[in-house]
Amino acid sequence: MSDSNETVIALLGQPNSGKSTLFNALTGMKQHVGNWPGKTVEKKEGNFEHNGRKYLVADLPGTYSLSANSDEEMITRDYIASGKADVVCILADSSQLERSLYMLADYAGITVPCFLVLNMSDVAKEQGKSVDAGELEKKLGIPVVSFSAPDTKSYDIFYKTLERAADQKTVLDPKNLEKRYESIDNYDRIRTLIPDNVIPGYSKTWLAAKAVEGDAPVIAKIRAAVSGENAKAFDEAVSATGKGVVVSGQCKFEWIDELLSGTVNKKASSVSLGKFDRLITHHIWGKPVVVLIVILGLIASFIPALPLMGVGQLVAKIPDPLNEAMLSAGCPAFIAALVCDVFLRSVSFIVQMLGFVFGVTLVFGLLEEIGVMARISYVFDNTMARFGLQGKSVMPFLISFGCTMGGAAGTRVIDNWGQKVLTIALAWAVPCGAAWAVIPMLSTLFFGAWMPVIIAVILIVMILHMWITAKVFGGSLVKNTDRYGMIMELPPYHKPKWGALFRYVFGRTKDTFVRALKVVLIVALAFWLLSYTSTGDITASILYKVGHFIEPVTKFFGMGWQTFMAFIASSLGKEGALGVLSTIFTGSGTISVGSVVGGAAAENINELLVANVPKPEALALIFAMTFNMPCIVALAATYQETHSAKWTARIALYYTGVALVIAGIAYRIGLLIW
Amino acid sequence: MEELIRLLKDGKSRTLEMLAMDLGTPIEKVKRDIEFLEHAGIIKKIEFAETCSPGHSCDGCTGCGTGDKACAGCMPEGGFKNMGTMWEVK
Repeated sequence: MSDSNETVIALLGQPNSGKSTLFNALTGMKQHVGNWPGKTVEKKEGNFEHNGRKYLVADLPGTYSLSANSDEEMITRDYIASGKADVVCILADSSQLERSLYMLADYAGITVPCFLVLNMSDVAKEQGKSVDAGELEKKLGIPVVSFSAPDTKSYDIFYKTLERAADQKTVLDPKNLEKRYESIDNYDRIRTLIPDNVIPGYSKTWLAAKAVEGDAPVIAKIRAAVSGENAKAFDEAVSATGKGVVVSGQCKFEWIDELLSGTVNKKASSVSLGKFDRLITHHIWGKPVVVLIVILGLIASFIPALPLMGVGQLVAKIPDPLNEAMLSAGCPAFIAALVCDVFLRSVSFIVQMLGFVFGVTLVFGLLEEIGVMARISYVFDNTMARFGLQGKSVMPFLISFGCTMGGAAGTRVIDNWGQKVLTIALAWAVPCGAAWAVIPMLSTLFFGAWMPVIIAVILIVMILHMWITAKVFGGSLVKNTDRYGMIMELPPYHKPKWGALFRYVFGRTKDTFVRALKVVLIVALAFWLLSYTSTGDITASILYKVGHFIEPVTKFFGMGWQTFMAFIASSLGKEGALGVLSTIFTGSGTISVGSVVGGAAAENINELLVANVPKPEALALIFAMTFNMPCIVALAATYQETHSAKWTARIALYYTGVALVIAGIAYRIGLLIW
Repeated sequence: MEELIRLLKDGKSRTLEMLAMDLGTPIEKVKRDIEFLEHAGIIKKIEFAETCSPGHSCDGCTGCGTGDKACAGCMPEGGFKNMGTMWEVK
């Protein structure tokens, strides 16, 4: 590609350092694109002429450093070692020199001529930063140019610097960095054992630093060049370096800081948290504030839910007149009951429930969009430590607020099996999207304006439940030493993208509608068939007989047999409970189809429930459903993620038992209140 | 940087701002160290599952069981995109 008249320039820099912009500006249309030999990494070369001099430009892959962590890094340093480049143009982002000069620091010790381009000087200027390129030149011993690659009018200074570096063959002075390397254990010992010219263009300083860092290809090359006692001494020195990569990196950053001291002026910035961040990270007020936000969010969810609830209640008024009309038109009672009792009453519940799905998704989607959800997850992340979990467990928990199955799938990021199982076990305690639709609706139905209080208590019980569950299962699943800290970069607060938010909300509402329609209709139909008798004598139905048989036990947990059936159905899916409730209740506490077939006037299902389920029993049902097994699909997902039938069964039985215990407690507290 | 690693291993979680305050350094330097440690393989960025559960099957979902993009039932589309960035010690 190159001929002897061409000066070959290699562009070296980290990703986003402006390498491609510079390459395109220099070469224009004179580019050749292919792959590096034997690799799928793109190779770009191009030509240009300036002042009658021909140049060939090689755009090396953008890499963080010259370590051997990737194909791109290996290609880059092999190209430099090949001797093809006459001069290396090292790019750094002027707006963040503290980090972007790391490539220059990693280059120090390579003897191929080079110069430094401080790109994006316009961005740095906007940030109030100014860089003294002359002072940097003195410290580095190579030409330094500050300019902005997209500004095509500023290239004269770039060309002059390039010519200077190419003509004078300027080599980066690594002296000050080497002094720092000398403080690293075994660095001097390794350096003295390295023979000359192990890799052309790479000094002993550079090779010794890489050996300290544990760079396998460099160690292998040095090892191949030494023998006898030196080889043994080299192996011992390398194996004794331990955390060499950290210490070496620290040396490079200290060298960068020293370089920038006195050469970069910028406005002093102090680290501080915003008012809201200070509040939610407060060790006393943080959690109460976050819980308050969640409660206010749920109350706010009620507002957009109201119109759909109204529609659902309107649908609930259709079955009675329609049933009468169908019967008077000669329609068989069985068909009329099927349409009115099963289908329409189920649809009524589903539409009311969808209002909450819409509201909850909108409000919490908005909190996420503006950056508040990340803060909430941070606050609860520290709570994870008390559960013996990794900080990242917070994300499966948050996902579980939408879907426990998704939460179980989200635990795949947890490498430790015990922590993964414990995270899933605790995620089951988090009320899922279906619960957030069914529970507020039933709470509003039975307790009216007290709904927010019920929700607040559910959240408190959830945390308590998770804490107890962590104690119960944690001992056998997680060791204290398994816990590591976590760093979070919180997103900045910003305005929501309303279009995207509403697309998400409508999508979730539609998905929930389809799922709920299936679950509720199937469960309602199954329970309706179990309660159906041709004579209208409800006591002859299978459901009644089974229900009365188990009622002495269910009463202990605060539930009559009808609400207990709803609890059982909620194991399949929370919406399933609605199917049961909409099917089996009637004004007299018997079963609706019997009344309808018998010609009795059926009331609105909401009124029927309020009239026939005492408040303590309703409270027991709400808590039992909330903390019951999430759904049958979550059970399957738990098995798929844990690969343990034993732990899946253990968790399922535990949750069923705990839900009944919580229901019993809620019932007795309810008796004290009402 | 060793002090930063020690803090990361103490079992507590911190934001970048809190780390900067604990270490008494500018936040730019904390970001720089985090980037370095990530490239050195000492810490890793957490990539949350965006694939469906193995064996799980939803109607109309092409991702289920294939390791492709998750369906809305497993990971709500558009959801949890603005949750910041998390790293953990390897």
